[in-house]
Amino acid sequence: MAGSLRVSVDTGGTFTDVIGIDGVSGAVHVVKTPSDREDPSRALLTGVEKVLALAGADFDSVEMVVHGTTTATNAVLEHEFDGIGLLVTEGFRHLLEIARQSVPDGYGNSFFWVKPPRIVPLHLVREVPGRLTFDGAVHRELDEAAVLAAAKELVDAGVNRLGVCLLHSYANPEHERRVGELLGEAFPDLFVSLSSTVLPEYREYERAMTTLLDVMVKPYCRTYLDRAHQELRARSGDLPFLIMQSNGGVVSAQAAGEKPVTMLLSGPAGGVLGAIESARGAGISDIITLDVGGTSTDVALIEDLTIRLTNETVIENYPVKVPMIDIATVGTGGGSLAWVGPNGALKVGPKSAGAVPGPICYRRGGTRPTVTDAAAVLGRFPASLVGGDLVLDIESARAVFAEFGAHWDLSAEDAAAGVLEVAVAGQVAGIRQVSTLKGRDPGAYTLVAFGGAGPLLAAEVADFLGMTSVLVPPNPGNLSAFGLQVTDVKRDYVRTFVRQVSPEVTAEVTALWNELERLGQDELADEGVNAARVELVRSADMRYVGEGYEVTVSVPVGTPDAESLAAVAVAFHDEHERVYGFSYAGKQDVEIVNLRVQAVGRLHRPELTGVTESAAAEPASRRPVYWRGAGWRDCVIYRRADLGAGSRIDGPCVVEEYGATVVVPADWAATIDSFGNLIMKRRLA
Amino acid sequence: MTTRLGPIELEVITGTIRSAEVEIEAAVERAARSPMIRDQHDYRVGLYDAKGRKLTGRSYGSLIEPIFEFFGDDINPGDVFFWNDPYNSAGSCGHVPDLCTTVPIFYGGRLLGFAQVFGHHDDVGGCVPGSLPVQVRDQWGEGLVVPPAKLYDKGVLNETAFRIIERNSRLPEHLRGDIDSEIGACQLGSRRLTELAERYGVEALEDAFDAIIENCAATIRAELLPKIADGVYTFEDYIESDGFTRKLYAMRLTMTKTAEKITLDFTGTDPEAEGPINWAIDYCEGRFVRKWMGPVLRCLADSPERAAEIDINEGVLDVIDVVFPEKGTLVTPHFGRPTGLRFFILIRSLGIFAGALAKATGGIMPADHETIRIWGLHSRARDGKLSLFREVLGGGGPGRPWADGSDVVHIVPNSRNLPAEFSEQRYPVLVESLALRADSAGAGKRRGGFGYDKRVRALRDCLLLSNADRSELAPYGVNGGLAGHPYGVSVESGEDGVVRSLPGMVDDVQVRAGDLVRLWTSGGGGWGDPLERETELVRYDVRCGLVTREAAESEYGVVFADGLTVDEEATDRLRAERRGARDGLPMFDRGEHFRKVQSAGGLVWPEGWSDPDDWQAVPV
Repeated sequence: MAGSLRVSVDTGGTFTDVIGIDGVSGAVHVVKTPSDREDPSRALLTGVEKVLALAGADFDSVEMVVHGTTTATNAVLEHEFDGIGLLVTEGFRHLLEIARQSVPDGYGNSFFWVKPPRIVPLHLVREVPGRLTFDGAVHRELDEAAVLAAAKELVDAGVNRLGVCLLHSYANPEHERRVGELLGEAFPDLFVSLSSTVLPEYREYERAMTTLLDVMVKPYCRTYLDRAHQELRARSGDLPFLIMQSNGGVVSAQAAGEKPVTMLLSGPAGGVLGAIESARGAGISDIITLDVGGTSTDVALIEDLTIRLTNETVIENYPVKVPMIDIATVGTGGGSLAWVGPNGALKVGPKSAGAVPGPICYRRGGTRPTVTDAAAVLGRFPASLVGGDLVLDIESARAVFAEFGAHWDLSAEDAAAGVLEVAVAGQVAGIRQVSTLKGRDPGAYTLVAFGGAGPLLAAEVADFLGMTSVLVPPNPGNLSAFGLQVTDVKRDYVRTFVRQVSPEVTAEVTALWNELERLGQDELADEGVNAARVELVRSADMRYVGEGYEVTVSVPVGTPDAESLAAVAVAFHDEHERVYGFSYAGKQDVEIVNLRVQAVGRLHRPELTGVTESAAAEPASRRPVYWRGAGWRDCVIYRRADLGAGSRIDGPCVVEEYGATVVVPADWAATIDSFGNLIMKRRLA
Repeated sequence: MTTRLGPIELEVITGTIRSAEVEIEAAVERAARSPMIRDQHDYRVGLYDAKGRKLTGRSYGSLIEPIFEFFGDDINPGDVFFWNDPYNSAGSCGHVPDLCTTVPIFYGGRLLGFAQVFGHHDDVGGCVPGSLPVQVRDQWGEGLVVPPAKLYDKGVLNETAFRIIERNSRLPEHLRGDIDSEIGACQLGSRRLTELAERYGVEALEDAFDAIIENCAATIRAELLPKIADGVYTFEDYIESDGFTRKLYAMRLTMTKTAEKITLDFTGTDPEAEGPINWAIDYCEGRFVRKWMGPVLRCLADSPERAAEIDINEGVLDVIDVVFPEKGTLVTPHFGRPTGLRFFILIRSLGIFAGALAKATGGIMPADHETIRIWGLHSRARDGKLSLFREVLGGGGPGRPWADGSDVVHIVPNSRNLPAEFSEQRYPVLVESLALRADSAGAGKRRGGFGYDKRVRALRDCLLLSNADRSELAPYGVNGGLAGHPYGVSVESGEDGVVRSLPGMVDDVQVRAGDLVRLWTSGGGGWGDPLERETELVRYDVRCGLVTREAAESEYGVVFADGLTVDEEATDRLRAERRGARDGLPMFDRGEHFRKVQSAGGLVWPEGWSDPDDWQAVPV
């Protein structure tokens, strides 16, 4: 029987975080190792070995390895576009050049805006004769000789990755399948992605782009995942190796390599999963996550502990229409630089001091003021961080802030407090995107704050939004790697099927849903998931006839076939009312656009040991802390490790721990629950 | 809580207002029904202070003044103001399909400001589906006209008014969905201002409004005006037809630049037209047109990235003054003149401002681009339901010193074309080709962007409409760059293959099932001497099939040896010969058709007006 140690590896740009949780004892082991950009599998192996050493275990005791990585995203951000080609339907060679004829942002920008480079330059796009109509009927047969000739030209021109996007292939994949076969025979070394496999959804430009991003990262993901998997197998035999995807679920490394676009936006997923698990422990079901890293902040809204997905994500200007956790990202984090903008404005971000040179107070050569420096100037940090390894240079930070504040006749403290206020406002804007913009009042949610700088600003962010409850999980700096431990196997299936909702289409809709469900069952069985642990969730993208955007609504699990369509229609009116403030139940016709199924294979959760009880919280020290509006106040400082379950502390105070600092302002109080979650509540005025 | 306005409050308030504008836009777009609004993004969003001053700058917005004029102090929480009357809205609505919705924002009984959305709706009646008839002689033929009215009065819906408005549209469900989405979006935006008042106090917030507006003027004065030489400059451009008469309808501008200000004088503009190309903007000191034209100045920012950051809000009024001619011109039409296709002159106004600025800046302005034209096919299904397939097709963007023009752009931000896979599902059409048109871009050291070459086959009998200018005259080139190529539309019979070429402005042309409609849109004007364009760039365009070898030689002086190899020697020779043969390099090129019209006497200048094109390029 397999071992009981579940290992999760979270590969970021700078560090690889590894956690091992023993399913029997509940013991948690945490290590950090530098990432390896040349060959990320080396850092992965090193990390796993380190955590085994720490746990005093060997490879035989590992139950599975779960891996999350931003390497695919980075490849896109770094524009590794060389050698990508595209096959399209005759008449559509300029598909990428035209895109959606869209100029971003403001009115009048068409005068000066410069179209960014396309992911495939025009000379590497070829047309193939053959045409389908919207219902999947063949209007003109595929010209197979032309396909081979076009592909040969591209391969001769240096193409090693080829996307195929034929018109209406979502309605009938036959032509694309045939193209795939022909290419497989004639060019076995060519990496190919078919749009009908990657994203069987209508809207040709978006489908083409998603397909191209898939094929773009394919060679890289395959080699790297294969290598990592082989290395693991060499040490442990048939060890499950699971990869985190953008939808917050995992799949086998092999499946991930087949369709790597699904892991393109998986970076923030671990944190969201970890936050959900912490909230579950605390008995809270509706949360907004606040993940503050060095350069940016990710936020997501979660209801009933269930992830909401979106299909409208873009990386830079490139649409990626695969299901992804609905996350808003704003460009302020702990390392964000404060600067003097045009007209003497006090600006924060989006430029960041990064890891190097970093904030001034970290002594790595930083000379420009950051959000972290502002917190240091205000007394929010102890003399040293990360268990004493990083001795802060607060004086230098203060000197720079004194100079910075002089632009507006502000003291160093007022300038620093202002920088925090502006950073907070940026995070507030992000939270509004996932809440008020979707008809949700943030006041009804608990803010779950993590990442290095999340707990530092969380209460102030909450105050700004009228939120009265904040949860800071244990080890908030490591929540992402922890989240990889508490995931399920998830695969998403979609089919465009545009029909007006009426009893007549019930049979067709049911048949399609059933087909997608069978696909899910089969693929999860291939992944080795026990059928008893498989859950199938039906949903549909719907709109009033004529609307351009769809609202996705789910069918409650267990709804009979005959009632599923009616159930989504009712849910659609309700959600429309909630998000947009109006609905037309009984007045206007509704149409389905896409049918979806998510197949979930439940993995068991590791049992966590709680923290011991301690009624009275013992302060570790006192020091002056500066508050905007109130000035310097002598404050109590606690060590998180000293706070047992049931202890209660009143603001203003600061709680220090290994990778983060929790700030509890004057109007707030905090308690510790039995899982070690720190829960802050705003006191009634 | 009362706070003094400091840099921190100002930054948070500025940022919140900016993101509120984006939130309102997102809310409109998601729930709106008319493709014109949700895909083509033809809607504007604005937040205003209690004095009606515009605080936001992403879009040009409308005006608040009509509310003050019609309702005075009778402005209450729960009101929703509504209008689309081009002649009773202080110039804020240019044509009747633009319905304007405004919500007042209150904080504890005090009027803080307004949130506003106006959008181009699919249909508000009139004699042609889509409400943009070409052959119409007055405003009453263009559709329903609503003067400033309260659609909601203190939260109570005027159901009768709403029913009348809906009843006058051929697509009432679209109209209802659009208006509801706009009201919802305004209310969402309103909450941002009240939250700011709550956090920082009304006084600090109102001080911030002043600062936001003053900062706009300060930015223009500090970063943009110094790049324009003081002096008086003239420029003009034309519309080809008013739907009844084909001739040049000129919009004329005299721009006076001083250290502190720019005055735009439209005196000399041609008389008002019989057809729908008039633009009623001579109201309340021309505030609308000043805010509309101001953003052109952003082209003078240090970089395109910086240009994108500069918001043009009410502060631009401090920098730009305007002078109108007497009543009865294209920009000062008498009450009731038709205005449906006023977007031609709207775009022309930007072009003549940019042209005058090119003269005043040594030619560093972008060339011209024509980015709005609407075409469509409409028919009725057997059940009588209207099918209105209508698109706004962009055109090639302008060449400019820092880059070639972008292809097929639309001046309306985030405007999107209709995917073929959407169009074919929704309408009885087959999109046979969606392409860029070879050789459509104006040649230049930095060429223009390419226009569309789109082919659509009709699958049932229908009627075609085309609302397009620049079908003969082309977007002008600047600083030695050449004009782009104009728009065209034709119908090829599915039976006998006979091709009918149509004028740019037509209503209701019969198209049979099986006929192929072909459209090509204008390319952008080029910037700088085409003989200076790097041969490698010309070669790449030829390689991609965007520029033909013939055009490479005739327009760029680039000679190909064989295949895709440039004969550098022959190219140098040809280019030297061309340079030697020409007598200077003109600042502007308006293309072949213009030269023909001019030499045939089709252009008559008013007294005291001289040729504005008489200006030399600045060598690059």
